[in-house]
Amino acid sequence: MGSDASHQHTPGGSGRSMRHRLRMLRLLLITGKGGVGRTTMAAATGIAAARAGRRVLLTEVGEPEAGHSHLGQQFGHEQLTARPLEVEPRLAICTLSATEGHEAFLRAVLPVPALARAALRSKAIRKFLNAVPSFHEMGIFYHMLSLLRQRRDDGHLEHDLLIVDMPASGHTLALTGLPMTLLRLIPEGPITRELLEGMALVHDPLLTAAWVVTLPEALPVSECLELIHGLAETQVPVGGVVLNRLPDDPFTEEERAALLPLMEAAPVFGKLAFERILATRRALRRLTSAIDLPLTVVRDFSSQANALLEDIAPGFVPRPEAE
Amino acid sequence: MGEQASGDPPTTARQRLGALVREQAAIVCCGAGGVGKTTVSAALALAAARAGRRVLVVTIDPSRRLAETLGVERNPPEPMPVPAALLERAGVQPPGSLEAWMLDPARVTEIVIRAEASTPGEVRDLLHNRIYRHVSTMIAGLQEYAAVEALHMFLTEGRYDLVVLDTPPSRNALQFLEAPTRANLFLDGRVFQLFIPGEGGVIRRATAKLVGKVLDTTIGETQRVELQDFFKQFSGVLARARRHAVEIRDFFALPEVSFLMVTSPAKEALTEAFHFQKKTQDELGLRVAGYILNRSLAAAGDLGSPAAPLGGSELSEAQLQGLKKLRPLAEVQQAQAGRDRELLDELIERAGADGFALALPYLTGGVSDIAALVSMLS
Repeated sequence: MGSDASHQHTPGGSGRSMRHRLRMLRLLLITGKGGVGRTTMAAATGIAAARAGRRVLLTEVGEPEAGHSHLGQQFGHEQLTARPLEVEPRLAICTLSATEGHEAFLRAVLPVPALARAALRSKAIRKFLNAVPSFHEMGIFYHMLSLLRQRRDDGHLEHDLLIVDMPASGHTLALTGLPMTLLRLIPEGPITRELLEGMALVHDPLLTAAWVVTLPEALPVSECLELIHGLAETQVPVGGVVLNRLPDDPFTEEERAALLPLMEAAPVFGKLAFERILATRRALRRLTSAIDLPLTVVRDFSSQANALLEDIAPGFVPRPEAE
Repeated sequence: MGEQASGDPPTTARQRLGALVREQAAIVCCGAGGVGKTTVSAALALAAARAGRRVLVVTIDPSRRLAETLGVERNPPEPMPVPAALLERAGVQPPGSLEAWMLDPARVTEIVIRAEASTPGEVRDLLHNRIYRHVSTMIAGLQEYAAVEALHMFLTEGRYDLVVLDTPPSRNALQFLEAPTRANLFLDGRVFQLFIPGEGGVIRRATAKLVGKVLDTTIGETQRVELQDFFKQFSGVLARARRHAVEIRDFFALPEVSFLMVTSPAKEALTEAFHFQKKTQDELGLRVAGYILNRSLAAAGDLGSPAAPLGGSELSEAQLQGLKKLRPLAEVQQAQAGRDRELLDELIERAGADGFALALPYLTGGVSDIAALVSMLS
């Protein structure tokens, strides 16, 4: 009850199915247009899943030499490294790093340890690995896989759920499309085995879901629809859409109609809020008529940063619903 | 600026932006995703066209919003004129013109290949290279390279008076300007040489040999040889890329090129804008002309209360109820306007005496309407 106060779900509780799935998923990819709140949503979902008892690793895709970490900042850290850093019980954050992935991969496949060591020590080779077509993305992908596979001494998984704060739409597709591209390019060898194993996980709708975050505005909705289509093409299961920052709409149908001529008469405070509500309704209609996916709606909180996470997180707690 | 300069030097932020739009050869818009960078770029381009210039607006953003905004085709092979009817409605008259283009890295590379190869057979070989076909869209730095190459093309052709560049919403947006220090296949010759065994000094040869061994073990010898062929075949294209990158960097340092930092009032967007400013100004030594504070209420200073437009007219029950509910929303907005104005002042201070900060309004409908674009800057 209380935990649902901040969220509205579509009729039939389809948004709840997104929360349910959080109990089983191993990999959750949070994607969407720039500026729609991907990082906030990834962080809130991570907090919610960790508080419900899952061991969560919350990650972002590292960009070389990025000045600061958006994800880290949500938890008061200016920078993140490839080493998981615990920020709450059962919740750790880190960067997915191509270099880390390359190293893990070379160690795993090079038969001669000395060769692997020499390769890893060479700065030139590191540069090279980042510059060869798609090797950078491959490194990120492999780092993600090795984190998913990590086990503790007692045999349990180190991380039950790995959440990735993906880059903006177009770059997300470059990443999700990578394994298939590489398989066409390199049909056999150690890389291929790793890719096939990784792909089996990423393409499995029981283990993996991509959530597309969007806003109730014209352009973000267009891009959301395009992205859903693109994800399907790369065979990544889309688990649902998170509609972020839905403004409260206190008006009845009749009141909206009655206000319209008044708002056209003069620029006044409140007019923008009113127009935004109208635009929101249009965008929402367009979204719901175009997709057949679970939808979770997060309303527009005026809170900032950490308070915002605390406002949003409860709506994603993946506990079983009492009927 | 010489005798022809009319009137006083521009003083207000709007006048300064107007001057940029009328005088510059290139304007580069930087900023976080979702702040309306594409919209601002389109509006600036339109304003320049209205001032009688021949303008091209290019987006490197793979999200493809520019086409939607300006009503041009999605994936045109080359710049497309914005439909005449749209331009007419926007008040653009000859000689003013506006073309829009969504950067297509594969297309740019193909143009370069055709220009660089010496025989039709060579063109065919390059374009049909298996590796090139499979990975042409995800080569590290390709997007940035293509942006450089496209800019170089448009600027040397002289078809346009002004090129407005809408950069991708990535922290690497300016990567193409810092090229040679980075691991960038196109722009770093040393990385490239590692693929060609038997060249260079002892250390380079040893490294290349090690690279060969690592590749043989991981991807297999057949693929390794293929990869080396790819690099040999593309060496001409790569050399040209490096040459042009240097020229473009020099060009960006010219006074007729301005960088604009576009931001929204959101905290994350501001952090990103400051990051870009630091990078552009301090690290790359380029000129940041100023800030555009987009989607703000800072310009909404003299709005009335919701009851204002009513006069003495009779109101229906529904209208009264609606207005009652609107009041708290208006108060929230008014408070936001106050915060946005403070933010604008802070940006003005940050921009310094030579720079400016201009607030633009929030457009609710999204910008699929050209009229909204025009109203942004007029």
